[in-house]
Amino acid sequence: MGRKTEITNLLAHLPRLGVGLAYRESFRDELLHHQSEVDFVEIIGDHYIDAPPERMDELALLSEHFTILPHFTNLSLGTAEGIDPVYLEKIANLIRRLNPPWWSEHIGFTRAGGIHLGQSAPLPFTQEAVEVMTKNIITARRAIATPLMLENVCSPLAWPGGEMDEPTFISEVLRSGGTGLLLDVSSLLNHAVNLGGTPATFLEKLPLDRVVQVHFSGGQDACGQLVESRAHPIPEALWQLLDDAVARAPVRCICLERDDVLPPLSEMLGEVERARAIGRQHQRWS
Amino acid sequence: MELALQQKLLAQLASDRAFRETFFADPARVAASEGLTGEALSQSHCEQLRQFARVLQHRRLAQVGELLPLTHKALGTRFADLFHNYAITPPSGTRPCEDALGFVRHLKQHAATEGLEPEWSLSLARYEAAQIEATWLDERLVFRCLPHAVRKLSALLAVGDVPAGSYRRLSLALWWRTSTRSRLKHWLR
Ligand SMILES: [Fe+2]
Repeated sequence: MGRKTEITNLLAHLPRLGVGLAYRESFRDELLHHQSEVDFVEIIGDHYIDAPPERMDELALLSEHFTILPHFTNLSLGTAEGIDPVYLEKIANLIRRLNPPWWSEHIGFTRAGGIHLGQSAPLPFTQEAVEVMTKNIITARRAIATPLMLENVCSPLAWPGGEMDEPTFISEVLRSGGTGLLLDVSSLLNHAVNLGGTPATFLEKLPLDRVVQVHFSGGQDACGQLVESRAHPIPEALWQLLDDAVARAPVRCICLERDDVLPPLSEMLGEVERARAIGRQHQRWS
Repeated sequence: MELALQQKLLAQLASDRAFRETFFADPARVAASEGLTGEALSQSHCEQLRQFARVLQHRRLAQVGELLPLTHKALGTRFADLFHNYAITPPSGTRPCEDALGFVRHLKQHAATEGLEPEWSLSLARYEAAQIEATWLDERLVFRCLPHAVRKLSALLAVGDVPAGSYRRLSLALWWRTSTRSRLKHWLR
């Protein structure tokens, strides 16, 4: 069996989770009241590394009620200095504890020259960057058997000296690392606005058979420019792109992300329901 | 390796305002001094880099605001202005809680040199910083003596009131754990 068939078979056997929310402490109690309306909860895994016992109690409470998907930012898989083995071990411990169907990180880097950026920075689209990502992904996969999904990042910055376009770069990383894709459709839309191009062309060129999870969120930042920020209601163009992606890719789940100023949970639950209907319409779940 | 140098350069440019301005004055010289030989970031990336730096600052601000909710409410829109003055250099630690503690140190300095209104906002910032130390750092016992009515102010801000007046009154705050694995206890009067 070829490597591509092997990975797509593995991805095809992942559970169909439905639609969930990126967790925020501020809506914990309300969320527990509306448990039946949310199919899973995504947590920022980094927030539970070196965390106090109270934080771990909260995680235990969440895992009693929901499937938990841990999403990480600070492993910095794109860092040329190599990933931090101590941090990797801590992530592995957390994943062992949660036993999720998969975990996720980003196609980018957050650490370089002793500086921790706290948000994924883009990589140049070069063979060297593909090799760095691949080496780090293999190290991570050796430590963590749970399947890994990688997310596309949005950035206002485009590196000079690119040897390929971004969709090709993403495809190469996923192929050589043997991972699935966490497709952030909001990033895709913002990216197209920031750097030119259309999200439809971008989507067309991605290996859609590898999409396992989709992120979607609002799209305006405090500077009034489109960047990856999740404080605003979902615009219609994004619903359209979400529909398009779910129609074409074998997604197992959709996760609504919100940052900054959170709207009332009822508003987010309405968006969750609308996304669930999109998945149902394309037979991604019943 | 070229990529390691490029990433180091980008991390510095995105997080250090003074370094960014030096770079824009003469990108080729700075890139060479960082050891870069190939095609590097240049003047044409100036606006993209500034925008990326704003994105990073915005993310740091959101995380720190969440860790210092009372201070945020007390200072209102000035919280963001003061934070932007602070975040012109990279965060000192690796975690948001360390960034929040760095910002409270900045607020203390700012209050000492230029003053901070309302005066009680600094007491709330010091209170929340102590809470972060007790929660996130391995401190088994944290004690603060603060010159304002922290409990009363917290209650007012929690329901959305804007406290008027000086609220001068001594507050004593204590956090403790009996062991590193036990739950945090708090006492405030
Ligand atoms: Fe995302």
